Amino acid sequence: MAVSQQAGGSLQQGAAPVSVLISRDELIRLVVGVLVVGGVIAGAYALNGTPGYGAPASFSLLTGLTLGILFERGRFCFFCILRDFIEHRGTSGIFAILAALTVGMIGYAIVFGAFLPNTTTGRLPPGAHIGPVSWILVAAGLAFGVGMALSGACISGHLYRLGEGYTRAPLALFGALVGFGLGFYTWQSAYLGTIRTAPVAWLPGTLGYGGALAVSLAVIAIIAIYLLRFSPQSPAREAVRITPAYVFDKVFRQRWNPLVTGGLIGIVGTLAYFRVEPLGVTSQLGSISRTILDNNGLLAERLNGLDTFAGCATQVVQTITENGWLIGGLVIGSFAVSLVARKISFSRVTVRGGATALLGGVAMGWGSMLALGCTVGTLLSGISAFAISGWVFAAAMFAGVWLGIRFKMHTWN
Amino acid sequence: MNLRKIAGAAVVSLGLLGALAGSAFAQDAAPESVLVTADWVEENLENPNVRLIEVSVVPGVFERGHIPGAVNFVWHTDFVDPVQRDIVSQERLQELAQAAGINDDTTIVLYGDNNNWFAAWGAWIFNLYGVEDVRLLDGGRVKWEADGRPLATTPAVYEVGSVTIGEANDDLRALRDEVLAVVNAEAPGALIDIRSAAEYNGEIFAPEGVQELAVRAGHIPGALNVPWGQNVNADGTFKSLDELRALYGGLGVDGSQPVITYCRIGERAALTWFVLNQLLGYDVALYDGSWTEWGNTVGVPVVNPAGTVWGGQ
Repeated sequence: MAVSQQAGGSLQQGAAPVSVLISRDELIRLVVGVLVVGGVIAGAYALNGTPGYGAPASFSLLTGLTLGILFERGRFCFFCILRDFIEHRGTSGIFAILAALTVGMIGYAIVFGAFLPNTTTGRLPPGAHIGPVSWILVAAGLAFGVGMALSGACISGHLYRLGEGYTRAPLALFGALVGFGLGFYTWQSAYLGTIRTAPVAWLPGTLGYGGALAVSLAVIAIIAIYLLRFSPQSPAREAVRITPAYVFDKVFRQRWNPLVTGGLIGIVGTLAYFRVEPLGVTSQLGSISRTILDNNGLLAERLNGLDTFAGCATQVVQTITENGWLIGGLVIGSFAVSLVARKISFSRVTVRGGATALLGGVAMGWGSMLALGCTVGTLLSGISAFAISGWVFAAAMFAGVWLGIRFKMHTWN
Repeated sequence: MNLRKIAGAAVVSLGLLGALAGSAFAQDAAPESVLVTADWVEENLENPNVRLIEVSVVPGVFERGHIPGAVNFVWHTDFVDPVQRDIVSQERLQELAQAAGINDDTTIVLYGDNNNWFAAWGAWIFNLYGVEDVRLLDGGRVKWEADGRPLATTPAVYEVGSVTIGEANDDLRALRDEVLAVVNAEAPGALIDIRSAAEYNGEIFAPEGVQELAVRAGHIPGALNVPWGQNVNADGTFKSLDELRALYGGLGVDGSQPVITYCRIGERAALTWFVLNQLLGYDVALYDGSWTEWGNTVGVPVVNPAGTVWGGQ
């Protein structure tokens, strides 16, 4: 299929010709990409009927696939987004995060209304990522942010960039496994010393859903209005005629509109919580660390109080958890679209680049263990669930990234 | 007796008859058995005299889809007093039941995940407190889902009901000393341990993935081991009454003497209590202290064929 550009009919007088053609190479890539996505969908279909997995695993795999596509096409990489802002005052990525939070909060409020109609019982909605707020959370967020700068992405960023062939990603993710292990060792004293008595603050508990939503949306609006001052002059948009080639260009070559990306992520987050569990990407990783340590008798059998908190929970597991399917789907989804988008590239890892990726991964693993999640689980799913812990983690993580960039850690590769 | 009195008596009698007929008709709605089928539940989803209560072990299961109209009872807060380590108080249960829109004539149908384990515990609690019409959905949640029947996520809201919860009937509950009396042959009775054979034999202290909560492993002397799963078919429904009678009769439990069931923390044993008491009509009490009390109690004997009596080294 070679779709030739249309210079436009009478209605498109003056419209610039869309200089896109789908080349043979792109067509082959498109077919392979569609086959990969189709393969994952077939896998989800098979999982649905597999005893022990069923609909939750199947749904999680499809959720991961969707997220991989959204993250890759929208470049929804928390580190890149924050670096754009800190270094160049670029705000479009932050608007994607704000859009995701806005849609997520509205979605969560709707779901919460069904799950826990009465907010005054002292109960929390089941499984929502509402964590304890203490200085440990601040330290964890800082470490996570510094780790992002060192390794070049957050954990979800590394996962989707793994699909793009980012060669530092495997090292950073391995480092995260190590960091999780360290986190488990720190946990016992952190729990007894601080986390046990830390407040698990949840806005609707005092404000109700309407009040919590109003306050949170107001905060988002204030941030958004502040960011508008950095908005650059947009180039004049040319009139275009929407053709298949134009759509291909928009979908596979251009970065997706940040508001669209963010809004879709907010919808996916809401649906994931509604059907299975809140979005998160560290629970399977942490569980791998915990299982390895446990199998070798290196970890206390009981991590004090850990199982009483909702978040990216870890457990000693022998199977692939729902979260594992989600992560798998995410990497493959990202791979499929980056293949079509010609985004896959491999670069040689230098010793320094490898070491900083590993070290950054360790810092992120430690941070996300103690924060009970990362930029997705604690920040996105937490703020969407009206958890104060989500906001505190976000602020600390931002400070960590800022410090990392200030000290040019992101260039140590 | 003058004519007026006769006429009056006739009117009153007719009225009584009518009321009797009416109540008989109303009871037609519910079948005789304490078990109801999924078909019956589906036909009665709109019946205001039927209240479905879900009691599931896994958090979030109810919220993500329950039988339409069902209300949620949380086993570890709504049916127990966690601070006292006791069953829920009369006042609290009344408050919860009224909030669920239950009246004195409501048919309560309980169901839950994990083969109705904790739904049966809920049935035990309601029975213990003298609530009249308490039933279990045969096959529980698993079969309802496997049948492809509808689920809803919308919360059901009911007008506050008028049910009065009575005093607890201690006949359905066995306390530690009553169990000890059976062990010491001071009282008649059979003990049934519904845990796995490995727990019963003391090879393990708790099922895999569950915290060990007793310093000793093993079982109460004289207890028979009938793991809970033997009560049910592969699809989660209860075995037929004949099969159940044969299963327990073969072990000498035929209703001729009182029975006490127990498990690890006290909840799962409610399933076997339900089978023996509600389905077979035997005299059965549930020892809700179960192994987490007995295994830790000073001065009571245990039997441990595996030889791992102490948890410590």
